[in-house]
Amino acid sequence: MKNSTKILDEDRRSFIKKVLKGTIAGSLLLVIPAGGNALEDIPAQIPGIRDKEWDMSKKRFAFIVDITRCIGCGSCCVADKREYNVPDHNYRTWVERYLKDFDDNIYVDCPNGGLDGYQKPREDLDVPIRDTFFVPKLCNMCKDAPCTQVCPVGATFTTPDGFVIVDSKRCVGCGYCIQACPYSVRFLNPVTKTAEKCTWCYHRVRKGMLPACVNVCPTGARKFGDLNDKESEVSKILSGPGVITVLKKEMGTDPSLYYIGARREVI
Amino acid sequence: MHTPHNAHVKRLLAALIILFVIGFFAKQAFQPKSFGKYGHYRADAIMEEANRPMRLMTNPSCVKCHPYEAGHQMTGLHKTISCEFCHGAYADHIKDGKKIGTLPVKRNAEITTLCLRCHNRAIEARPKQVIKTVVMPDHLRAQKVDEKHSCNQCHYVHAPLKYINHSKKIMGLI
Amino acid sequence: MSAAHDTVASLANYVFPNDLHVHWSLMIVLYPYITGIVAGAFIVSSLYHVFGVKQLKPIARFSLLFALAFLACATFPLLNHLGHPERNMNMMLTPSPTSAMAGFGYIYSLYGMLLILEILFIYRPTMVALKAKSSGFMRGLYTILTFGSDNVGPKSLALDHKIISFLAAIGIPMACVLHGYVGFIFGGIKANPLWSTPLMPVIFLLSACVSGISGIILAYIIIKTFKKEPIDFECVQTCLNYLAGFFIIDFVFEMLEIFSHGYLRTEHWHMVDGLLWGNLYNTFWVGQVYMFSVIPMFLLGWVCLTRVHDQVLKVVASVISVLLLLQVIFMRWNVVIGGQLMSKSGRGYTDFIPQWFEKEGILVALIIMICPLIILYILSKIFPFWLEGEKTA
Repeated sequence: MKNSTKILDEDRRSFIKKVLKGTIAGSLLLVIPAGGNALEDIPAQIPGIRDKEWDMSKKRFAFIVDITRCIGCGSCCVADKREYNVPDHNYRTWVERYLKDFDDNIYVDCPNGGLDGYQKPREDLDVPIRDTFFVPKLCNMCKDAPCTQVCPVGATFTTPDGFVIVDSKRCVGCGYCIQACPYSVRFLNPVTKTAEKCTWCYHRVRKGMLPACVNVCPTGARKFGDLNDKESEVSKILSGPGVITVLKKEMGTDPSLYYIGARREVI
Repeated sequence: MHTPHNAHVKRLLAALIILFVIGFFAKQAFQPKSFGKYGHYRADAIMEEANRPMRLMTNPSCVKCHPYEAGHQMTGLHKTISCEFCHGAYADHIKDGKKIGTLPVKRNAEITTLCLRCHNRAIEARPKQVIKTVVMPDHLRAQKVDEKHSCNQCHYVHAPLKYINHSKKIMGLI
Repeated sequence: MSAAHDTVASLANYVFPNDLHVHWSLMIVLYPYITGIVAGAFIVSSLYHVFGVKQLKPIARFSLLFALAFLACATFPLLNHLGHPERNMNMMLTPSPTSAMAGFGYIYSLYGMLLILEILFIYRPTMVALKAKSSGFMRGLYTILTFGSDNVGPKSLALDHKIISFLAAIGIPMACVLHGYVGFIFGGIKANPLWSTPLMPVIFLLSACVSGISGIILAYIIIKTFKKEPIDFECVQTCLNYLAGFFIIDFVFEMLEIFSHGYLRTEHWHMVDGLLWGNLYNTFWVGQVYMFSVIPMFLLGWVCLTRVHDQVLKVVASVISVLLLLQVIFMRWNVVIGGQLMSKSGRGYTDFIPQWFEKEGILVALIIMICPLIILYILSKIFPFWLEGEKTA
């Protein structure tokens, strides 16, 4: 870990030197090409990324899902599928519907991952419901990620800036990471035959944009931001007194995905 | 006996050593260049992922060409809704500044379905303080309109209360 | 479970959307099965070569070739299963030090080398004799396999003997590592309550011995019967005794794992409980436990504790072997497939029905299981299983 920080520091220094010498031409903004579509005239959604050099060793991001604000519209699921052209029946993110009766029985469903929204109440239940809510799910971005631990070829890994991503050029498609993920956010893409998962839209974040699902959420139930920025919404929430939980704490994975309003029955 | 008693063992050891040396160099040669730079992975994969093209380009990119709809949408109650949620991904519409495809516009019953994704009170899990919900067809009955009406016959989809409030003003109701 | 409970369970059945599909299919059932047979067969030969169990001499060489034939096919199911089989060398190029699976490439290759070397040294005097009798291609082959040396003098054989003992001795821990680690691939997955137990490598190892010994007994009896050669019943009886020993411990551990899970009433017990009495009822209780464990247990007790007629022993030993080979593959199925039927939602189960004609289907599985037998036949043309009047190597 120390070693990688050192290397990162060196990378950064040489980068700055190059910039000062003018060997890297143009604006730093152009370091990452937008890929087909121009980004310049679209305002940045996360401040302090586009106009600065990306120092991987100093980045800290958090994702917060506010269950008390989720209306189960499934915009996030649709956006996610469109952003990545996710093949049918595989889900980088999904929204579950929870119902709790007066005997503490929990009924959960998630038709087509919430992609089509929730148009109908559950008709198979004939019990009075005490509590009901939606729970969006996505990658927990564990700080001690089981998927990267078990990947036999180093094809899935935690970047120095804290994102767990998949190198689809090295993945052999063994499926071990899928078994290891306690949250079942991974799947084997039937088209590319490699493991795939939510990346918190790493490519968007690097361009100063919010993850696709956060951008489309109409109620602000999904929040993403920089923890180093004291003014960001996530910083404020995480430094406040509200009850913040993570999923499957007992797995010891130390997620960076936090929940507000998650009842104890949420798994 | 033509060969010394340990000749086969010596030859075998030589073969094994050659095998290990070849294996060692093959491992060096075929390992990706940036592998192991920051950790046990290919460091270049980080930039490859970072360079993935965006497909959803957010509302400001739509506003440029569709100022009329945007003008209503950005000021109305639906300002938090993403254009691309109802209409489709920007990347399917524009590439390198040129139009490459037409995004679908929802009509009638499709619109009602779309509206009810959020506004259907039958789904009790929706927090009341977050979203205004209605019960169908009770809402249509209460408003004394035909039960076959789709939502957009009263509510302009980009700004749902805009025309309703406007007509109320004219009639002196508000 | 009461009827009311059942309704609640069926209503509550919630599977994470990505858990509906079972990713590790029949191929991953076969893979530990095949490596288990390899490890078990090797242990049989080690009983003779290292521990000096003289009764096993007739099958000591055969079991090594049997192990090699299966080892040669152990990668087939894996390669068929991988999304990108052409990238399989990534396992050797960049094995992750933290992955239980990454060791496979190296452990498998080293073990394969060790097995081949041991066979070559054991067969050297035989091959030197055969080389003198053969011509053309076979002569060339034997020249390569004997490393061009036809020195079978006492000094040379004494050196060989030392090397054989050394290889057999390090072969035992290697066989244990090969298969124990296969167990750990499952045992190391904390997300799966059926898998994550330290007992998993031990159970895999013991069941490996059971399947290996059963395979050897069955193959020995069948080959000898077809060739109309006499069967060494003392050898079969000794094998059965060892089989009984390994199987009792194996079965006890298998049951202990379930029992302690159930008795401790751990957080995830309700999931395992619902699995064993639900989707896995037929393959676990009926198959693995009642039919293929309890019945062979009584049969083993009968033939090991009492003296039975040779012809009866021949039939009963074959039956026991078949039953135990089935027991082990059912156990592999119940672990590999069973573990994946439980959704990580902790609230529901998916199902898995193998198809005949899919990429990882039953037909392919059968073809893969026939491959080792074909390889064994080819090996028998190069390395005769049994030689008359052969001296101890």
